Amino acid sequence: MSELEQLRQEAEQLRNQIRDARKACNDSSLSQITAGLDSVGRIQMRTRRTLRGHLAKIYAMQWATDSRLLVSASQDGKLIIWDSYSTNKIHAIPLRSSWVMTCAYAPSGSYAACGGLDNICSIYSLKTREGNVRVTRELSGHTGYLSCCRFLDDSQIVTSSGDTTCALWDIETGQQTTTFTGHTGDVMSLSLSPDSRTFVSGACDASSKLWDIRDGMCRQSFTGHVSDINAVIFFPNGNAFTTGSDDATCRLFDLRADQELMMYSHDNINCGITSVAFSKSGRLLLAGYDDFNCNVWDTLKGERAGVLAGHDNRVSCLGISSDGMALATGSWDSFLRIWN
Amino acid sequence: MDELDETQLKNHVDSLKQQLQFNREKTSVTIPELTKWIEEKMNEDPFLNPDVLKDNPWVESSKCVII
Repeated sequence: MSELEQLRQEAEQLRNQIRDARKACNDSSLSQITAGLDSVGRIQMRTRRTLRGHLAKIYAMQWATDSRLLVSASQDGKLIIWDSYSTNKIHAIPLRSSWVMTCAYAPSGSYAACGGLDNICSIYSLKTREGNVRVTRELSGHTGYLSCCRFLDDSQIVTSSGDTTCALWDIETGQQTTTFTGHTGDVMSLSLSPDSRTFVSGACDASSKLWDIRDGMCRQSFTGHVSDINAVIFFPNGNAFTTGSDDATCRLFDLRADQELMMYSHDNINCGITSVAFSKSGRLLLAGYDDFNCNVWDTLKGERAGVLAGHDNRVSCLGISSDGMALATGSWDSFLRIWN
Repeated sequence: MDELDETQLKNHVDSLKQQLQFNREKTSVTIPELTKWIEEKMNEDPFLNPDVLKDNPWVESSKCVII
């Protein structure tokens, strides 16, 4: 038997052992335990603000930690920092490459980042002494598009890429501190854990992985989806995460029990999910879909609790402010909406 | 798996060995704890408790707003 064949057999054996270990821990289901729980009832939200200004599809957004400002990126080649209360544009930043796919806001509020088909993560300083916004670093190294980026702090950022890897960067030196390899398809999304020690990634190989930021190891790997995973988000307490996929389902994965707990789907929903977010308590799961809507799911009971309709094209991104007060959605219709 | 070369497969096998070692807990323990965490937080969730949303920054509480 060739070395390759031996390794393949060993891999299959190990996968089976992991499957059996998970089964052994699966002594009760989320549906069973929450059967007697009150449903959350009908969730209705109104659009409180429409942010107008982008001239093309919006691909990404992220709230600032002050729960008031937010950043959005559009293939009109602009990064816009908005005041969501007044709808004023604080900054409209022209990008060197208009093929942007992701953007991020540093927790301090001092930096924004974006990237896309240029394979580069560009860091912008929002608080320069001169009062203008400029590029302070271009992080290059990925050999595929930048699909997602998230700041750990002002000096470190994690990125995911179409080159199947993720990376932790030292912004000051512009170098990759750690590379995370293991996915066999484009990595589409990442989410940092609340304690910043780990992050989850979702990829076109239909798997999601939990990574240790410091040592670069993949601690846990999850299958289940049958198509590309487009979005991942950590549950607020860091013990679980949810994924959204082209297979029209969202799934909740328990990190402590190392397995899938629930699938959120409906026979009437046949399109892909682009983005996911949890409400403050984690009881509601919000997901953006290709069919222009957002669905609100009861995380515990697996039922749909509401629909947010209003966009005239695909909902490409969404996020809930850190105080939990509002949901922002971004769409290919070029608008962002603030809901609560 | 068929596209991976020997080095990649070796890394994959090593990673699987590590993942197998993970200290899994039983769902009969983790699920009730997750549910309890959610239930305790629901009161502070603006989307579930209308009282929290009373001071909604996006809703004008008076006729005129000074920007």
